[in-house]
Amino acid sequence: MTEDETLRYVQASAVAVGLPLEATQAKRVAAHLQRTSVLADLLDAFPLGDAEELAEIYCPAPYRAGVA
Amino acid sequence: MSMHSTLLQTARAVASGEQSAAEALEASIARIEATDARVNAFTGTRFEAARLQAQRVDAMRTRGEPLGALAGVPFAVKNLFDIADEVTLAGSKVNRANPPATTDAVLIQRLQAAGAILVGSLNMDEYAYGFTTENTHYGPTHNPHKLGHIAGGSSGGSGAAVAAGQVPLTLGSDTNGSIRVPASLCGVWGIKPTFGRLSRRGTYPFVDSLDHLGAFADDLGGLALTYDAMQGSDPLDPGCFATTVQPVSRSLAKGVDGLRVGLLGGWFEEMASDAARGAVASAGAVLGANSTVVWPDAAQARAAAFIISASEGGALHLQRLRMQAADFEPLSVDRFIAGALQPAAWYLRAQRFRRAYRDKVNALFRDWDVLLAPATPVAAPAIGTEWLEINGQRFPCRPSMGLLTQPVSFAGCPVVTAPLWPDGTDGLPIGVQVIAAPWREDLALRAGWSLAQSGVAQVRESAL
Repeated sequence: MTEDETLRYVQASAVAVGLPLEATQAKRVAAHLQRTSVLADLLDAFPLGDAEELAEIYCPAPYRAGVA
Repeated sequence: MSMHSTLLQTARAVASGEQSAAEALEASIARIEATDARVNAFTGTRFEAARLQAQRVDAMRTRGEPLGALAGVPFAVKNLFDIADEVTLAGSKVNRANPPATTDAVLIQRLQAAGAILVGSLNMDEYAYGFTTENTHYGPTHNPHKLGHIAGGSSGGSGAAVAAGQVPLTLGSDTNGSIRVPASLCGVWGIKPTFGRLSRRGTYPFVDSLDHLGAFADDLGGLALTYDAMQGSDPLDPGCFATTVQPVSRSLAKGVDGLRVGLLGGWFEEMASDAARGAVASAGAVLGANSTVVWPDAAQARAAAFIISASEGGALHLQRLRMQAADFEPLSVDRFIAGALQPAAWYLRAQRFRRAYRDKVNALFRDWDVLLAPATPVAAPAIGTEWLEINGQRFPCRPSMGLLTQPVSFAGCPVVTAPLWPDGTDGLPIGVQVIAAPWREDLALRAGWSLAQSGVAQVRESAL
């Protein structure tokens, strides 16, 4: 994203999640997000197959071996 | 070494009757009162409650009852730990409106069950989002070894209180480096156990996927005792995976005999100053480490940790950001908002990367038992520093203090931070991360013990 695109994204997504942002703060937030987008690009370039699942974040109940 | 009694010395003196718990506590209180106006480590004290607790410990000894391993040891906690009847601030102004906690955090309960005496709560970056403890609401914590310089963060009060000799033991949390960075900059021992080792129940969260709890101490043996006392399963904490206690204290004296110790290169050299590399070289020489090892995908891991932290942290606080953003820490509120607005695709890719990354990191430990890396790129910068230069590259100071810790905690590996004092830092310390495979805290502590025995790693008296 360019700086202008990032700012427009920040303004639009802030509306989407109900977060009021003044113009000056939106610019500061966009600057942070612009830096993070560089990190996201780095991960985007990392080869991940479709079978690579998420790291575990949920377990419905402790697994008990031998219980059908 | 400190002129104050260390954690282990205090525990032994109280156990033998050479010193009462009340005497140990009064020495700690006197030191806090003499120094904290300059250090600003404490945000709250509970001296009267501590005195009652010390009396109970001394009464038990008088009656000949068995004392816990930490009987009479004064300690303090980062103010994101619940303390019964106190409001858990988590470094914020917003949380002042919350009701007081009804019970102590699990780890506080466990340390108290071992006889340790809670004296107060400690400063931190707001909601743990920072590496510098430049807290606008409660003031910055100053480095006891050089006032006017940062103590590191987010558990800055925890590192500074030990370095200042106020208490020999503190608790903190580490999401991306928040124990290891202040331990490094303050020159004290720290342990960030394996992700999922210790119960987090009763602490204010930052990033559920990454939050760890751990401890700081002024000697390695005391740190190991504390770690043993904190262990235990907790079925009520979905983030606590350990189901048994695996004590380490008795194996410490094995040191590094038979262990394969390597030095991390690549990212961990490129993002480190000459002094930080010198600290690792000194530790490696003591531990017999000759080979350089490449940690897999460190830059991507740091990126993924950054994205997950921003996203989960921003989402956690979204409702408060909608209504009370003006009451947030000015130094981090914009980062929280940016995190709340991150595309879901960034977050999900980072979590998918984490699983593949874990397998690569774990494979590394087939060939190595312990790996060494600097804990911070540089020694403590002055409070207010905006930019750092590392090997000719310019970095924003506040987020960059975690450049070398984030890839390691993202894998969940246990780390002991050892305090070294390399040349070229104007007398300030830089810590070395002693890293082991998941669930092998014993190996990291054994290597730490060897560093302590050699004298290359040591806690030094501050000039306060």
